[in-house]
Amino acid sequence: MNWRRLRTLIRREILATFRDPFTMTILVTVPLAALLVFGFVLSTEVKGLRLGVVDAARSSASRRLIAELGAKGTFVPQPFNTRAALEAALVAGNISAAIVIPPDFDRDLRAAGVARERPQVQVIYDGGEATLAGNAEGFLRTLIANTSAAVLADDGVGAGRGIEVVTRALFNPTLDGTPFMVSGTFGFVLSFLTVLITAVSIVTEKITGTFEQLQVTPATSLEILLGKILPMGAVFALDVVLMVLVAGLVLHVWPRGSVVFFVLVSSFYVLVSLGLGLIISATSATAAEAVQKSVLFSIPLVQLSGFAFPIRSMPRFVQWIAEVFPATHYIRVSRAIYMRGEGPITLLPELALLLLFGILLVGYALRTIEARR
Amino acid sequence: MSTPIIRAHGLTRRFGDFTAVDNLSIEVLPGTIFAFLGANGSGKSTTIRMLIGLLRPTAGTIEVDGIDVIKRPRKVRDHIGYMGQKVSLYAGLSLRENVEFYAGLYDLSARQLAQRWGALRERFALGDTENEKAEDLPAGVRQRAGLALSTLHQPRVLFLDEPTAGVDVHNRELFWELIQDEAQAGVTAFVTTHFLEEVDYCDWVCFIDAGRLIANAAPETLRQRHSEGCRIRVVLPVEEQARCAEVLSAVGRPLGCDATSLQVAVAALDPQVLAALDAAAAVCPQAEIHIEQTHMTDVFRRVLAESGAAI
Repeated sequence: MNWRRLRTLIRREILATFRDPFTMTILVTVPLAALLVFGFVLSTEVKGLRLGVVDAARSSASRRLIAELGAKGTFVPQPFNTRAALEAALVAGNISAAIVIPPDFDRDLRAAGVARERPQVQVIYDGGEATLAGNAEGFLRTLIANTSAAVLADDGVGAGRGIEVVTRALFNPTLDGTPFMVSGTFGFVLSFLTVLITAVSIVTEKITGTFEQLQVTPATSLEILLGKILPMGAVFALDVVLMVLVAGLVLHVWPRGSVVFFVLVSSFYVLVSLGLGLIISATSATAAEAVQKSVLFSIPLVQLSGFAFPIRSMPRFVQWIAEVFPATHYIRVSRAIYMRGEGPITLLPELALLLLFGILLVGYALRTIEARR
Repeated sequence: MSTPIIRAHGLTRRFGDFTAVDNLSIEVLPGTIFAFLGANGSGKSTTIRMLIGLLRPTAGTIEVDGIDVIKRPRKVRDHIGYMGQKVSLYAGLSLRENVEFYAGLYDLSARQLAQRWGALRERFALGDTENEKAEDLPAGVRQRAGLALSTLHQPRVLFLDEPTAGVDVHNRELFWELIQDEAQAGVTAFVTTHFLEEVDYCDWVCFIDAGRLIANAAPETLRQRHSEGCRIRVVLPVEEQARCAEVLSAVGRPLGCDATSLQVAVAALDPQVLAALDAAAAVCPQAEIHIEQTHMTDVFRRVLAESGAAI
């Protein structure tokens, strides 16, 4: 080992690193951003979840129970008059979980020490989001048990046999995580892979000189853009079909909704995502920079898009950020089709947002590959 | 005098505080080979990118084949052929597939392609390699293929950005012959190069330094202005020298002589000098005539040194 040579090599590498603003930015900001995002978003703590409440008892004990549920900050109770309204809010995603307190809750609670039947509180959640549902259910069980014990102790009654928590999942009653992950994986794979593959395409052509040559031909920017994204889009559409088949045949997870609709929506989303890849490619100087940008993009994709972690349990401002990712909306649509069998009518707002993202991203991609700067 | 096919006036391009091209004005006549010279970073590529509509100038006007390139950059693309510093062949495709790709972009029909490529393939000696992958082609062949592709749609103006970089001497000569053929067929060639000796293949030379034009003339004119001209040496037997000297006196310059040759220095190879040399060759058929011109590198060294002077 020649130490002088080694020192020379190390010095060159350090100089190259410190003189490259992009690498320096990555080195400084990514660890900090990851730390903050992990700290805020990936905490397993259930906090500030909107909890729908139908209080049919309207008694002091039920009011106390609701107050206790809200006091810890874990849940933010939102009253509903009817069970139907509550379930509609749950399906629409306006609330994360719900409890239904029966009319004779007070009487059953106080008789719990002697009666054969325990008082019941029903907990309802969207089983599609299995992780969130599991966490919320656990917290609700603990809080309800603690509150009932406290109420009975204050009344001078023994702890009795406590409150029975009856759970009901609107979808995915077994809280099987596979459909959740499968439908989310489409979002992750289609977002990450499309961006990664296209990110190197234009920059590679720039380096080899073919892109400049292309720009001097009569081909328009739109033709160049479509020439890039359409063949790639077709390949990824085939990928979607393949993934649907493998998920169905191997994992036994089939879409509850229309397969054709799912493939169509996914194919459109691929075009949106390819547009993003082209923007990265057209704004990168080297293939390495394009790959680095793609990887950077994939970090928030995993963390914020709802692919792995429920958006509903994230802080409100992070939820707003999550809405900026097209992947968030696609994953929402994917899960709606896969797990709840929803169709174009109910998904219209999300589809409209995807269309808007498509117009914005492909439009911007078009500008970035426009010849004249 | 014919109308210039390329006209640029007051062309300026700034990148932030840096001025890459500064108030450049040039005119190129149709059917000529125009050399655009300069050191690395002098503004050659920025200029050529503005002329072909890839880069919008900060100021100035550009007209190519009667088209305002700034206002209608797309329109000019049917009229021009371009060969960049990196020969733009798609790796993974054979040469033939690359040709078909570019023919498609220029909307050539199958018949037009067969006709045009048939002629080019033969003229550019590409027949043996057309089925080889682009990445497997030798540098000289790639360069010829690049030129063939840029002329596929029969453009009126060819922009060639350092077309002979990385090519051996033999292939460079071959390449320049092809460019000269194109010029003889009426195509205008705008060529950037840093091989100064290649200027002798060209009809006109521009020299750019730090974005500013510092020379703009025919190669011979530049030689006259910035060198002592040519030195002619006629090697012949001593008994022939008197007869030959009489003929060469028509040049009007003092003659030198030694045991084997006569020597004369002239400002340029003007018609009078050439006529005298023809007469000398006729009178003394065994005479060998050697012309030593000032090397263009020396000419441009002087141009650079005098770059503050009027051009």
